Amino acid sequence: MQRMLTMIRKEFRQIFRDRPMLVIIFIVPVIQLLIMSFAFTSEVKHISCLIVDFDNTPMSRDLIHSLHHTEQFDLTEMTTDIRQIDERMKRWQVQMALIIPPHFSRDLERHLNPQCQLIVDGVDGNTAGVALGYARGILSNFQEKWTAELTASSFHNDVHIIQMTERMLYNPDLRSQQFMVPGIVVILLTILPMMLSAMSLVKEKEVGTLEQLMVTPLKRYQLLSGKLIPFLLLSFFELFIVMSVGITVFKISMNGSYLLLACLALIYLMTTLGLGIFISTITHSQQQSMFVAWFSMIFLILMSGFFIPIENMPLLLQKLTYLNPMRYFMTIVRDIFQKGSSLRFLLKEAIPMTLFGLMIFTLSVFKFQKRVQ
Amino acid sequence: MDAIQIDNFQKQYGSRYAVKGVSFSIHFGELFGLIGPDGAGKTTLIRSVCSLLPPDGGIIKINEMDVYQNISAIRNILGYMPQHFSLYQDLSVEQNLHFFADLYQVPQVSLKDKLEQLYHFSRLEPFKKRKAGALSGGMKQKLALSCALIHTPEVLILDEPTYGIDPVSRQELWEMLHTLQKENITILVSTAYMEEADQCDRIALMHQGKISSLGSPSQLKNAYPYPLYRVSGRDFFPLKKFFLKLPQVHSIQLFGDSIHISFAQKPNETDWEHWKKKTNHILTEWNLLSPSIEDCFIEFTRNSR
Repeated sequence: MQRMLTMIRKEFRQIFRDRPMLVIIFIVPVIQLLIMSFAFTSEVKHISCLIVDFDNTPMSRDLIHSLHHTEQFDLTEMTTDIRQIDERMKRWQVQMALIIPPHFSRDLERHLNPQCQLIVDGVDGNTAGVALGYARGILSNFQEKWTAELTASSFHNDVHIIQMTERMLYNPDLRSQQFMVPGIVVILLTILPMMLSAMSLVKEKEVGTLEQLMVTPLKRYQLLSGKLIPFLLLSFFELFIVMSVGITVFKISMNGSYLLLACLALIYLMTTLGLGIFISTITHSQQQSMFVAWFSMIFLILMSGFFIPIENMPLLLQKLTYLNPMRYFMTIVRDIFQKGSSLRFLLKEAIPMTLFGLMIFTLSVFKFQKRVQ
Repeated sequence: MDAIQIDNFQKQYGSRYAVKGVSFSIHFGELFGLIGPDGAGKTTLIRSVCSLLPPDGGIIKINEMDVYQNISAIRNILGYMPQHFSLYQDLSVEQNLHFFADLYQVPQVSLKDKLEQLYHFSRLEPFKKRKAGALSGGMKQKLALSCALIHTPEVLILDEPTYGIDPVSRQELWEMLHTLQKENITILVSTAYMEEADQCDRIALMHQGKISSLGSPSQLKNAYPYPLYRVSGRDFFPLKKFFLKLPQVHSIQLFGDSIHISFAQKPNETDWEHWKKKTNHILTEWNLLSPSIEDCFIEFTRNSR
């Protein structure tokens, strides 16, 4: 026990003496959080829009006005030259064009179902889809409004419109930060413990101190726990920082139990620390271990549903994600934050995650013990 | 009873033998040198004695205890200083010493005296706040030695402690080892510098994983079987060529400032004068020489090369 404490104290000393490491540990996560949560937003705003208005009546101007009055669309230009559309899109100046045909308002008044054309730049499929959705919504509101007015004035009453009322659960404002910040929590709890444990174990090997340690009466489990406990504590501290920033700066709502989150995080850390130990056993220098850690991290993150929703992946890849422990923790953290899920609802993720954690940790420790021999 | 007993020790890496059947023992309080060139198997042998590498054959005992059956007991009485500096460069001198003191669980009461003694011994006192990485090569070795001594070991094992440090620090380090020997510590030290052999009580010459000869430095020198001459001249290469052709020459070795030549039959002065004439006076000087350890090493390992 005494020896373990000695190791832990030494480890903290080394961490706090290593300036670049300190920056990595304390500043990078916060910056990452600030930048990533603003940048990775699925909200689409300020789509530049070109209007080709052949009608030029009060009604068509009203339609343009209703587009203009939203946050989503910026009207860049009005024109009557259709060739402009192609040219502007190629120059990345507009992303969407709306063509209002001649006699638009006349046809609408006569119930002749006039057709507007929407042209959307499909290079970024995601944005295009969202923009199209917004525009459709606005157009249908417009139609509803004018139909009502026209019907009222001419006493026609044959237009039936099915009305949909929408209500978003858990994240009513559809704020992307509410979704991203918990994801970043998971990423930090993956990167930090994995890299730090791998690098610090490999450093002992690289510098040769491991050999000096091995001739002392220090037991292997003492060596390993002396190494891992500091990183465990640091990871929790990190979790604390990121959550505080998320809750105070981004006004993220945390609807679940902190205790549950902490317990499941502890289980997850078995996986990431275990991976760190494993990496340290297959590499010989800090550079190598850094490279292996980054490489495996990219796979973990891509296959976790952080950027790309798992449901959108091909079936084979979807099945592969079940082998990724990070996938489970990603779901768990997002559910706890947003839905306030209790353990009962998370067992489907928590059980495989625990199994992975136990397996990875035990195997790595076993491999480490053998290597150190 | 001996401090360290090695009996038919073998170690192989893959199918290559690093050490093939080595047996010797080291007496209590002895300063024992393991001398040999790089790649002779010294480090492998030493790491095995320190219980870091399990042997592939044979037995190593320290204080009559089999090293691999009593690992924890052995580690408490053993001090080890590896070949490469292996302390924490980012910790200070003081913190390194305290760290290893804690790992060996040196009682707080005796620690203060021990540290004082070690600081005095190594003259590191003024540098105790300095980071180990910022020390000079010689001071690093002294710190490493101090860390290996923090728990007052009975047996001290050093792997090439003088490798890569300046001559003054080397001499200081040997003096420190002599001081330790007076405190009844058994010391096993390896080195590739042949001239350092004279600092040891007994030495083993190691070559290609085998001990080629063993004894005190003077015993080994006395065992040198041929008369040895130190020859100098105005130009070494024609001289070497000339002597190579002589039937009574046993071996020729070029050194920096002279040629060492051993003879199967001892030549007399007439022979030398004759040779001097025959070489057009390129040969200028010849003296009978008492062999150095290096001469011994070259001679004793001749057959295996």
